[in-house]
Amino acid sequence: MTDGSLDSGRVPSLRWRLLILVSIASLLIMVLASAFSYRRARHEVQELMDGQMAKTAQLMLAQVMLGEEHLADLTAHIAGIRGLNVRKNQLTLEYQIGKVDGAVLARSAQAPSTPLSSALGFSTISENGESWRSLILEASDGSHRIQIAESIPKRDKEALEIAAKTVQPMFYIFPLLLLAIYVSVRRGLKPIDDLASDVATRSSDNLTPLAARGVPREVQPLVVAINRVLFRLGYSLESERRFTADAAHELRTPLAAARIQAQVALLSPDAERRNHALAQTLSGLDRAARLVEQMLRLARLDPLAQLPQRQSINLVDLVQRVAAGVQDATPHARIELDLPESAQSIDGNADLLEVALRNLLDNAIRFSPDESEVTVFLRSAGGALVLGVDDNGPGVDPEELPRLMERFYRGASVTAEGSGLGLTIVCRIAELHGATLELNNRTGGGFEARLCWRG
Amino acid sequence: MRILLVEDDAILGDGILAGLKLAEHAVDWVRDGEAARLALLDHPYEACVLDLGLPKRDGISVLKELRERGNRLPVLILTARDSSADKIAGLDAGADDYLTKPFDLAELLARLRALVRRAAGEARPTLEHGGVVLDPASRQVTFNGQTVALSAREYALLDDLLRHQNHIRTRAQLEESIYAWGEETGSNTVEVFVHHLRKKFGADFIRTVRGLGYQLGDSN
Repeated sequence: MTDGSLDSGRVPSLRWRLLILVSIASLLIMVLASAFSYRRARHEVQELMDGQMAKTAQLMLAQVMLGEEHLADLTAHIAGIRGLNVRKNQLTLEYQIGKVDGAVLARSAQAPSTPLSSALGFSTISENGESWRSLILEASDGSHRIQIAESIPKRDKEALEIAAKTVQPMFYIFPLLLLAIYVSVRRGLKPIDDLASDVATRSSDNLTPLAARGVPREVQPLVVAINRVLFRLGYSLESERRFTADAAHELRTPLAAARIQAQVALLSPDAERRNHALAQTLSGLDRAARLVEQMLRLARLDPLAQLPQRQSINLVDLVQRVAAGVQDATPHARIELDLPESAQSIDGNADLLEVALRNLLDNAIRFSPDESEVTVFLRSAGGALVLGVDDNGPGVDPEELPRLMERFYRGASVTAEGSGLGLTIVCRIAELHGATLELNNRTGGGFEARLCWRG
Repeated sequence: MRILLVEDDAILGDGILAGLKLAEHAVDWVRDGEAARLALLDHPYEACVLDLGLPKRDGISVLKELRERGNRLPVLILTARDSSADKIAGLDAGADDYLTKPFDLAELLARLRALVRRAAGEARPTLEHGGVVLDPASRQVTFNGQTVALSAREYALLDDLLRHQNHIRTRAQLEESIYAWGEETGSNTVEVFVHHLRKKFGADFIRTVRGLGYQLGDSN
């Protein structure tokens, strides 16, 4: 992600997911409900039709019991009844009227020719490949019988039509349902949209926490996590800013010094003053260069989560190497070594440890009176490995001890020109090595810095 | 004139000291706030160059204490911070001017001259008396339009007398003004320099006030 925008083509959208899932579920439920309604409707229609057949049969049978004479013309009479528009494929009334023994007195043209002597009640019969629903009733005196029949395919068709019409409206409503789902999902996800736009529209230096109020519970953990990141970001940004400001500030003094000395050199009438000013100019520039070097070193160390190039290091060798180097650079220093006979190995980065030890040694020499002894010792005590530097200088005001590792902090009573970063760097290197830097005044006077590896 | 320089940085302090000396000023250099406080109590300075970040006692507190005592000494502060907060704090604490490091030596000198001039209530940048004109900016002295060459001490003495016209200056005051700490002062050096100035500008140019000290003569 280089510009922070999302590839929306591949990243799943919560809204679409919800929309599609809810729509599919609604559709499935509607289909199920329709199928169920359809079946029930069909069943009810069939029952209704059976009831209709029973009433018709009862009515006709009662008529027959009043006299048989007019039965011969019944079909013609029915056909002649007015007031009905005959639909195509309409269910027609098919009947047989006769005696109990099976003699037929009257029948409709298409009526099946089941014997009237068959069992009473509803039955399904088949004739010439056509199935019928049939009802046979018998008069209370046992004189006559009637059979009413309806074609099952026609009945089914009728029932189907009615059932289908019952279910139909549900499918008209479906688009409305989809719309309702869409609106609901949108509204439901609005707090997330709001949150997104809150994050998207803020300027890069706005690191105030996101408002957790009004945010749905499901999103709360996200907001809390984002706020935590914002806080950490703000903290590191602030320390970056402070570092940059401090760095600029710290560089100003040596640069001012070099500039003034150069001007003095230009203005000095005699060689002695000119040379002194030029030498001072160089010292000022050297100091600025050293400061820049220390700042860069710290800037490189700061973001490291772990040591680069970890290897086994013999601390005895390392101390001897560093002490020799410092001795060469400051011939007047008196450096004593107090080292064990056997090798003491740790895992670490030799370059960084050398920097740390050199810083401690430089400090000790700088803050000690000339000709006084500085001791580097290495010993293991109580399961801990300790690499320390003792001096016989004035020590440090106890109140200042906790501040010594702060960036650019120089003791309040100190006029020596350090970068103010040496101990910060040592502290960071110690951290990376899983060690602690302990700074204390020695009981007998002097100062002591220790790097401790506790087992 | 005599200036107190308060700067903890060895190289910068040495440079400002040398620069001020090149401009014929007598400079006392102290390297922490406590020493600055003591120096300001004991000696009459014409101006003070004060760094704000100091060991033992910071510059702002030195400045505040100075002003609380009612001292109107012109003070120029040096700040390493670019932010206006430091400058505002300094000016509010009683500083008369400020410079941000790194700065130009010539600008430092010009600002000091301006401060001292304003403190004396003078509008003109030059000091004049009886045909003698001293230009602090170019450190040139003319007498009736003719350039006169002066030694550093003669110049410092003339500068002091011109700044304190209508005042009688004791020998001790004049010595304080033209010598920094630790500089060798002969027993009768002030007399020697007065003698040199009289030779160059006429016997009446400087009046001896018997038992008290010296004063510029009547201008005519």
